[in-house]
Amino acid sequence: MAMSDVDAEPRVRIDGVGKRFEGANGPVQALSSISFSVREGEFVCIVGPSGCGKTTLFRIIAGLEPPTSGSVYLDGDRVDGPGPDLGLVFQEYHLFPWHTVAGNVGFGLEQQGVADTERERRVRELLELVGLDGFADTYPRDLSGGMKQRVALARALAVDPGLLLMDEPFGAVDAQTKKMLQDELLDIWRETGKTILFVTHDVEEAVKLADRVVVMAKDPGRIRAVVDVDIERPRSRSDGTFSDTYQQLLDLIEG
Amino acid sequence: MAVDVTEDVDHATEAVGGGLGDIDTRRARRGLGGIAAFLLLWTGASLTQPSYVLPTPLAVAETFYAQTASGEVFVALGNSVLHWIPGAVFGTGLGIAAGIALAWSPYLDDVSSPVVRVLRPVPPLALVGFAIAWFGINHAGAAFIIAVGAFWINFYATYGGVEGVSDDLLDVARSLGVNGDLELVRTVVVPASLPEITTGIRTGIGRCWMLVVASEIFGVAGIGRRILRASNNLQVDVVITYILVLSLMYLVVDVAFRALQRRALAWR
Repeated sequence: MAMSDVDAEPRVRIDGVGKRFEGANGPVQALSSISFSVREGEFVCIVGPSGCGKTTLFRIIAGLEPPTSGSVYLDGDRVDGPGPDLGLVFQEYHLFPWHTVAGNVGFGLEQQGVADTERERRVRELLELVGLDGFADTYPRDLSGGMKQRVALARALAVDPGLLLMDEPFGAVDAQTKKMLQDELLDIWRETGKTILFVTHDVEEAVKLADRVVVMAKDPGRIRAVVDVDIERPRSRSDGTFSDTYQQLLDLIEG
Repeated sequence: MAVDVTEDVDHATEAVGGGLGDIDTRRARRGLGGIAAFLLLWTGASLTQPSYVLPTPLAVAETFYAQTASGEVFVALGNSVLHWIPGAVFGTGLGIAAGIALAWSPYLDDVSSPVVRVLRPVPPLALVGFAIAWFGINHAGAAFIIAVGAFWINFYATYGGVEGVSDDLLDVARSLGVNGDLELVRTVVVPASLPEITTGIRTGIGRCWMLVVASEIFGVAGIGRRILRASNNLQVDVVITYILVLSLMYLVVDVAFRALQRRALAWR
């Protein structure tokens, strides 16, 4: 892999990752030699047709599943399990239903032994960041999907992870909420300077959000192309470059 | 316009509140009707039978009053509570602990599964011999019988709850820095399975009151002993009196526990 900036280790390096499952009809190659890097502060989207192994790749990068070949490196260290360096946001939120909003957001801080007053201050800041001030004492069951995802985002950001990993985070909310959450995520990204790796099947979403888009193909899951999205933000669908990039990605996905 | 909306909201709230109140009073009215019908049937049946087969409700009420006034009820109740409490506490605690351990650790589950399957169908009453041999004819022996009953109910309720804990929540917790089995159990497994665990405790508490009678069969004093002795003497009014005491105790403890449970599960 040729890198122009040889001495800068990327934030994330995915190095020849492969995954084989033992299926009922013999082994299935779910992922085959996936390699790419994400620089610090970069926003990278992974898109691909369903069944291309996006979620498997997400789980491997998150340390939730071991690859059968290759490795994932975070700041040069091999990822061998989940931990606070990797902030996870799932499509289905996975909030702790027995904790209030504040309890969910402060969960990671409590694990790190952050003192009560400091924790409360950080939780308040994060709730403000995701636009949920005033909901600290609400339980997840009383929140809409969009609000739940904001809590999940704040919870992941709370422990200040080196990488924010998101698996189709806006796939379960309505179109209007989705657009709003996308804009908010971009604001938060700008404000915090986080490195974000974002899995989606929505090509338009990828063009709207990403600095670079990793396009995957299936059977076996592999990288078809990596496309730079060089459009100034805020991006508009009506922009010519936007629709060109959109079409280019669509063609790549449809192969 | 704004005023109209507020009024609408107020009306809606009133309607809902009033509706719930109606349902509550209707339920209460029907319940009282049921009790009245039951007492009527009982009276009718008891008039056709000698009192050693079925006494009238009135005769039972008189006996109940006499037994309460003489303090006998409280002595029996005090004795029963002395083995009900330790039995319920130990059985519940051990059942929950074992349920968590076996549902969480596949290794422990494999190791203990055959033994569990052999011991599970043994009725607590069949263990009276062990109660006497290991503890003697005393509160500890009776508590042992009660604890065995509470153990299995709590074991299976907890086991089911822990098995149902979502792997995704465990993944999230790990990604937020929770390390090791004990920490995962404390921060995720126990709170996530609290609905099943508390339902187990509640069912177990009821079962423990039933087992009070069985646990006193070999001679330990208490409500069960009174029931068994009165049965031998064909004092059915006394039998029913102490059955009522058991029911009342169950009702009081159950209502109290349900309030606790509702508070602990306010997030549901």
